[in-house]
Amino acid sequence: MSASALLLEIKGNALDDGPGIRSVVFFKGCVLSCVWCHNPESISRQAEISFDRLQCVGALECIQSCPEGALSRDDPQFIDRDKCTLCFECVEPCPSAALTRVGEEVSIDAVFEKLMKYKPFYDSSGGGVTLSGGEPTAQMEFASRLLERLQAAGVHTLVQTCGLFPYDGFMEGLYPHLDLIYFDLKIFDREDHRRRCGAANDMILENFSRLQQEYEKGGVEVLARTPLIPGMTSEATNLEGIAGFLREQGVSRAQLMEYNPIWHDKCERLGNPIAGQEDPLRQWMPREEFEQCRAIFSDHGLELV
Amino acid sequence: MGLPAITEQTQPHDRSQMAGRSSLSATLKQALLNPTAGGLLRVMAAQFTLRPSLRKYLKGVDGWINFAVGLKTHSGTVTQSIAFRDGRISVKGTIPDDADIVLHFKDDDAFVDMFTLPPNEALNLVLKNRVSLDGNPNYLQLFNFLISLMMKDKHAKVLAEEQRKDLAARREEWGEGDDTLSEELQSRPQYRMSCTSRDAGVVGLEDPFLPEYCLTDFPRLELFLEDHLTRKPEICAERAKLLTHWFREHGFETDKNEGELAPEVRQGRAFKHMMSHKAPVIRKNDLLAGTTTRNEIAGATVYPDANGGSIWGELFSIDKRKLIPFDISKETIETLHTDVLPFWAKRNFVEWVRDENGSPDCQTINERWVAYFVWKTVGISHTVPDFGRVLDLGTAGIIAEIEARLNEPGLDEAGRGALLGMTLCLEGIQAYASNLAIEAGRLADREIDPARKAELESLSRTCQRVPHAPPTTLDEAFNALWIVWLGLHNENADTGLSLGRLDQLLQPFFARDLARLTTTEERQAYVKHAIELAGCFFMRCTDHFPMTPDIANFLFGGSASNQALTLGGVTPEGEDGVNDMTYIFLKVTEMLCIRDVNVNARFNLQKNSTAYLDRLCEVNFITAGTPSMHNDDAIFKSLAPHGYPIEDIRDWSATGCVEQTLSGKHMGHTGSILMNLVAGMEMALHNGYHPLMDWHLGPETGDIEKMSSFEEFFEAYITQQTFLIDKAVEYNNMLADVHARYRPTPVLSALLGGCIRNARDATSGGATHNTSGVSNIGLADITDSMLIIKKLVFDEGKVPFKELKEALDSDFGDAQGLQALVQNKIDLFGSGDEAGIEMANRIAERFHQIYNSRRNYRGGKYTAGFWSMSQHVAYGFLSGALPSGRKAGKAFTPGLSPQPFASKNFLDNICDVAKLNPEFMDNNIAFNVKLIPDAQDTREETVNTMKSYAKTYFEQGGMQIQFNVVTSETLKDAMVHPENYRNLLVRISGYNAYFVTLNREIQIELIERTEFGL
Repeated sequence: MSASALLLEIKGNALDDGPGIRSVVFFKGCVLSCVWCHNPESISRQAEISFDRLQCVGALECIQSCPEGALSRDDPQFIDRDKCTLCFECVEPCPSAALTRVGEEVSIDAVFEKLMKYKPFYDSSGGGVTLSGGEPTAQMEFASRLLERLQAAGVHTLVQTCGLFPYDGFMEGLYPHLDLIYFDLKIFDREDHRRRCGAANDMILENFSRLQQEYEKGGVEVLARTPLIPGMTSEATNLEGIAGFLREQGVSRAQLMEYNPIWHDKCERLGNPIAGQEDPLRQWMPREEFEQCRAIFSDHGLELV
Repeated sequence: MGLPAITEQTQPHDRSQMAGRSSLSATLKQALLNPTAGGLLRVMAAQFTLRPSLRKYLKGVDGWINFAVGLKTHSGTVTQSIAFRDGRISVKGTIPDDADIVLHFKDDDAFVDMFTLPPNEALNLVLKNRVSLDGNPNYLQLFNFLISLMMKDKHAKVLAEEQRKDLAARREEWGEGDDTLSEELQSRPQYRMSCTSRDAGVVGLEDPFLPEYCLTDFPRLELFLEDHLTRKPEICAERAKLLTHWFREHGFETDKNEGELAPEVRQGRAFKHMMSHKAPVIRKNDLLAGTTTRNEIAGATVYPDANGGSIWGELFSIDKRKLIPFDISKETIETLHTDVLPFWAKRNFVEWVRDENGSPDCQTINERWVAYFVWKTVGISHTVPDFGRVLDLGTAGIIAEIEARLNEPGLDEAGRGALLGMTLCLEGIQAYASNLAIEAGRLADREIDPARKAELESLSRTCQRVPHAPPTTLDEAFNALWIVWLGLHNENADTGLSLGRLDQLLQPFFARDLARLTTTEERQAYVKHAIELAGCFFMRCTDHFPMTPDIANFLFGGSASNQALTLGGVTPEGEDGVNDMTYIFLKVTEMLCIRDVNVNARFNLQKNSTAYLDRLCEVNFITAGTPSMHNDDAIFKSLAPHGYPIEDIRDWSATGCVEQTLSGKHMGHTGSILMNLVAGMEMALHNGYHPLMDWHLGPETGDIEKMSSFEEFFEAYITQQTFLIDKAVEYNNMLADVHARYRPTPVLSALLGGCIRNARDATSGGATHNTSGVSNIGLADITDSMLIIKKLVFDEGKVPFKELKEALDSDFGDAQGLQALVQNKIDLFGSGDEAGIEMANRIAERFHQIYNSRRNYRGGKYTAGFWSMSQHVAYGFLSGALPSGRKAGKAFTPGLSPQPFASKNFLDNICDVAKLNPEFMDNNIAFNVKLIPDAQDTREETVNTMKSYAKTYFEQGGMQIQFNVVTSETLKDAMVHPENYRNLLVRISGYNAYFVTLNREIQIELIERTEFGL
């Protein structure tokens, strides 16, 4: 029985992850490994150590606390990740929370209790709880039990998924307890998807079709969402492909998510600075470009939300 | 201070360097300091002796102005005095016993700085206690005025240069700005939501949100607003002059002719004289007749009987100063200097207390700025008059009631005097209204435009009737209210006199007027007229400026008169009180976006609709900063233990900033004391010594290094803070006593429930309910400091108290790790941790208990509030580092809002603040929240989120909440492009101000406030 899960964090007062005021449970560990991942700390299925240079006040108590001698002021990365055994001994002594543990095993009771604290806000705003990640379906059993309890408590539930999951498990574990599904369709071309996201998209497209069919039969609403990554997902051919696919499936509404460049800083903190990235990835997407992307979807008769 | 700026070499933020570079400073710093100081004074003496153009200023209407000023350094390196006696000026190396004021300089540097810094920076020397004043500050003002006569051209140059440098420095610090930010703000009124449901109390408005109207539909209001934002208000000496002349002739302390007159009668006669002779001014195109001052657009009244002397030294520079400058005519300067201010130099609240009590410590502490500020030094009218009686009875009806009371048996002389004073005042108001009627008629005769002619004729008829008789129409009601209101303003200096529940009072007039109309067109035109009337009323109120010396720009930055208006809630019977006028006032609030009237909205969870709450949030979004919202249930809870009748509690309204007053019958002086809760903490850390004051004033509560438990320290803190509370109470009571004896308020008393029945002035306890409200500043900072001391020093023993104190003494210089630790790794108030809530409630409960057990002059209790006006910035600027990690000089959190780093989740903030017990907060709170709108969201989504925050906060028990819906980026843009943000409204802590008129410290506090996305 999965009474606990590896979580990144529980974010309260989320306003962009579904209707109303929500709490978002970020699961750690993902089945994809998209090169642009905005939550790079969520990919690995184990806890990690993060170092935020800007937070560091130079107290240096961490250096003495490290049994492996993995920390050094002389190291430009500060942490020698080859030496680091992820014992996290350095986290507690750090006064400024520059060193933090990313990923905690949390019990379902603790998660539920924390989420319920904000229930009055869900109620007054038409909000609820969103499971996100990482990939929440990768810890299916925990997600299932959490959703079941939330639903029983009258909380609106939503899952954000990359779509790569065993369909039957999803239908059995999560589906009965969901009010809304946010389903990512990132790249339409199979090979391109494999190259940039680390896996082929056959199962993703298949899962989407089946969920859409269920929706048409009166099941849970599925919203297809495409993150716009310059030079990767925002190419016209890709958007055309996705839009065409959605129309084929009888979908009428979809979402395009504007590009957000702040994930670069996160990579750096985890010791994976992204070198030599193309400039567009460090900028916000120009307004005109965003509108062009939207036009492709609109031209296919898709209502953008 | 206004002392001469001898060097032009000024770097605003680098004092030491500047002093070092000045050759004069170098000279002064040597042993020649004393002779040089004496030499400067002799130069001044020679100038005023030899130059007739200067010499004439030594004489006033009452003869030679005699006074002496002493200058002294603590070490004795300087001892000088200058005395003006019957036109002769003497400079001495000693200080005479009868010096009116002595400036004590902490050290030689302070002395040199005083003479080398520009006037606005010299002010900091006083605030920071590097110079302390012993004696009557009016004479320092006079001394500064005389200096400014010699130096005014130089001062003007320095001020101009300062402003030029300031803008350049802003550009450097905040960048060139981004026009899209101001465009976003300006675009907000363009979209306006429609209402989905109508409240039961709305009888006439088709869509209560009134989305069909915008400012451009009201050219009259547009013009008034443009004037308000572009033209300087003018200092007006009319009131001061008329009163001075009357008192000079008839006597102030005693009556020159009859001798035994009650002070209320003297005040009443003087007031009647003033109002009868006050120029009747009707602003071009206004729907309301009358102005508070002679200036038809905007003016500041001078109250020499209160704090008028505080601008004496600035008379020549007040039109050039950077923050909230005023126009002032040469004639006004002459009048104030020769005719008015000398007469009152020793006749004001502060000096009566000083004189009668021999400069008590409680007064000295007040004059050191850092521990508390007692508002009775300025005025007493922090309450809500009973306008209902003006509307029901007219002033004639009230006079008849007074007459009847006078004829009742058993009335003593004091009672007779109090009542006679009230009648005289009401007669004065009536005389003024009659003069307005004549003036309106005169203007109508000359008017060519037929529409305006008709308006003026109507105004003339209106002023013949009201406020004498009860009004019959909305037009008459607004005019009656305004005339009475300006009468009240002409009695008392601006200390938050508030309007109360005008939506409740005016709704019957609106409904009656509307019922007379039959066609849809007529009704629509009437609604539009009602909006315009309410708009004219707002503009008239907002154009009454408090006369603020420059020091007030620092202490109470950007504050207006704070005329609080209260909307919504329930009726005294407990029914839904939201009506047409509620929405009309909200429409006006939305369109005008002005700092004063200070709009406060009540929300009653049981009775008020969510549509109404939606509208409050939409107006708050469009205006960025108003209204502030209150939870009826929590306010009721806070008032219940006082045993007030439930109908009175249900009829509460906000006063000044936010404070609950029982409308029309409660002398709550809710802003009587602004108390710095951090001062006691600094004293507890230093065993009774306060570092900035450099004074061991408090009791010895022990060496913290020897304390063995948290409780011991907690009690030491409570003891120190209680010492300050008792001193403030003592001073407030002394001031209340001189108010009652020398300067009672018969106008206010005539309009405050209980005073007629009790035949007593409001200052003597005539009102039905009597309390004094305190605002306690720094609750979140103190709570966090206590949590940290408890956890780190005592519970875990991680940090010795000695080490913590050393860190504070060095302003965390070598202890950044410790500072980071307390800010990152301890659960603070606002984090969602129970310990924080418990600690905040524990501290609030203790102080509430202490205040409630103290009695004011009128026999009522003191009440405890936790809002901060602007003092969280001023007190922060003057206070040392705190265990909470706050560095010296930084602002405290506004009101009782949690620290920015307490939680990333705004909902934790909301939940924690909502759990504070209203019973400990019977003078209300201010919970400030900065929200960032999301450009992607629709208006409906934005409003829905704001509504959810407010509603859930209220459901959890929260008392008051105020949103600033503006990003830091926008505020930074406003730093460099003030011209694009003329009326960018921000809520400081309880009141609204225009961001661009705030001092730099407050601006930075606002920028640095935590912001939460919408």
